[in-house]
Amino acid sequence: MASSESTPLIELVGLNKSYVNDEVETPVLYNINLSISNGEFVAIMGPSGSGKSTLMHILGFLDVPTSGHYHFKGASTEEKTEDELARIRSTSVSFVFQSFNLLPRTSVFDNVMLPLLYNSTTRVSERRDKAMKAIESVGLKDRATYLSNQLSGGQQQRVAIARALVTTPEIIFADEPTGNLDSASGTHVMEILQNLHRAGHTIILVTHEQATAEHAERIIRLHDGHVVSDDRTFTRRIAKRGNQIK
Amino acid sequence: MRLHDLSTTALKGVTRNRSRALLTMLGIIIGVGAVVLMTSVGKSMESVILGQISVLGPKTIALWPGKNGPEQGAATLNPDFDSLKISDVEALKRLQTVTNISPIIFMEGKTTYGTEQTDTRVGGTTPETYTNQVVTIAEGRFHDAQDELEGRFVAVLGTDTARDLFSNQSPIGKRIGIGDHKYTVIGVLAPVGSQFFQNMDERVIIPFHTAHIVSQRTYVDMVTMQSTGDSADAIDDIQWLLRRRHKIVPPTTGVPTDNDDFLVRSAAQAQEILGTVSISLTLFITMIAAISLLVGGIGIMNIMLVAVTERTREIGLRKALGAQGRDILLQFLIEAVALTFLGGLVGLAAGLGVNALIVGIAKRFLENYVFAVNPIAIVASLLMAAGTGLAFGIYPARKASRLNPIEALRYE
Repeated sequence: MASSESTPLIELVGLNKSYVNDEVETPVLYNINLSISNGEFVAIMGPSGSGKSTLMHILGFLDVPTSGHYHFKGASTEEKTEDELARIRSTSVSFVFQSFNLLPRTSVFDNVMLPLLYNSTTRVSERRDKAMKAIESVGLKDRATYLSNQLSGGQQQRVAIARALVTTPEIIFADEPTGNLDSASGTHVMEILQNLHRAGHTIILVTHEQATAEHAERIIRLHDGHVVSDDRTFTRRIAKRGNQIK
Repeated sequence: MRLHDLSTTALKGVTRNRSRALLTMLGIIIGVGAVVLMTSVGKSMESVILGQISVLGPKTIALWPGKNGPEQGAATLNPDFDSLKISDVEALKRLQTVTNISPIIFMEGKTTYGTEQTDTRVGGTTPETYTNQVVTIAEGRFHDAQDELEGRFVAVLGTDTARDLFSNQSPIGKRIGIGDHKYTVIGVLAPVGSQFFQNMDERVIIPFHTAHIVSQRTYVDMVTMQSTGDSADAIDDIQWLLRRRHKIVPPTTGVPTDNDDFLVRSAAQAQEILGTVSISLTLFITMIAAISLLVGGIGIMNIMLVAVTERTREIGLRKALGAQGRDILLQFLIEAVALTFLGGLVGLAAGLGVNALIVGIAKRFLENYVFAVNPIAIVASLLMAAGTGLAFGIYPARKASRLNPIEALRYE
């Protein structure tokens, strides 16, 4: 994960987001200023309705801000077309969802291969190798041929993580990844995410649970669309990495 | 996204829900199946009828006595129809536009050999008939000009008649009875098959002169001849000549009328009529195909819309993973085309299967009925099926491609 130390991976400046529904404007995010560096493990915390999911969608290029700036790797992301955003999604970011979102009646292997279909620079044999490696890294090598619906919830979420890893993205977004899991499976999933972090991946976790958020080294709290705290109490490795703080 | 990946993805989408895919395809299957079946049957029938016409030879013209309108066939062997005189036949020989004139008198009475007997039709005709009707000899010889001149009592047998009377022994040189007279068999014809649903292998041919003497008739039952040039000109000449000789007022329009006491037809005319029939049949089948493909297409659109709704989360996921609108559009479009094309292939197989069944049954009644397919109809119906998928798949596919990924992911 070699990257310029001076340029943050993500930089939000005065970002606002509001939704217009039946001509009524509902503001969701107010004046967000945020900087996240390469290799960080950040938790975005807040109660439901705080805007944390919207923030994640904007950070993950699934949505666009109403105003303000979003610089990704130092480059402005405003004025990008939908196709360009899709291209960034296919190469630079990936998602792990609360409800796994695996394709039903489809093998583990094919599910993990899925993002590579939209990443057409890779050759077929190369894709297979990448998918197999990703499946191995979440400990499901012996389940590769199973259909997604034949797996337990914890296993399904691990498949989703493998799917998120397969494109070697710059950021992995995890949206309440343990929300649908029992505590043992949840712990296992969080361990995997921590291992990924240790291996150098940038991880942005969205959660409303304090216990889950504490796996991260930095916790950003949102309330009613405002950043209310940016807490590095849990930054076990902050000194080593020397991240920028706004 | 590459085309290969797109097609694989679309095919997986189709096969993930097989029973539904099959039901969706049903309309297309039936449409294509019906078209393939009907065009094949049409083609088989056409070859049966064309085969019968070709027995006559392309330049052959047939003339019958008859009081009926031009639409009805002539009644042969009807003693009331004595309008075609032997003198008419002599007059025809002076026409420049026809040649090979061969009158026929059908004889009455049974044909016998020993204790065997048959009701086979006996025709007294001249050697020109062998050319006009395109027959070849299997054994012995045709009767010739000398047999005619001397009015010899000789007979040429159809292959089935020869078998009926003589079983496995050679009939050549044997003497058979026809009516009150005995004839020496001089030849057996090669098999011909059916002509207009009449078995042409069951017949006996004797010299015309002999038949004329025995029957003492002054009129004939049929005349076959060949046109020297355009058969339409020949027919005009024949009509002109016979109307003048029979004092019939010629029609102003030039088409045969009820006034005529004869019917004249060319093999070319018969082929033309057949062509018209086959064109209207094709139009009819095309209409059926269009309607069933339309109905099938609407079914496809319906199911694809359901599929888009059902798979909203999948579409959202694909978009989150980097799929562009175009990727989703093509995926669903290819899925629709794959559904209809597969439906077309299944329909093709079903149509050919039922056709094979029909051929098996029809062969018992029509020996010339053979398995035939219309390759143009097959290619066209498959293309139309795929085109239906394209036309009716575009709306659901566009709908899918325009879904907002966040809303799609949240869809319950």
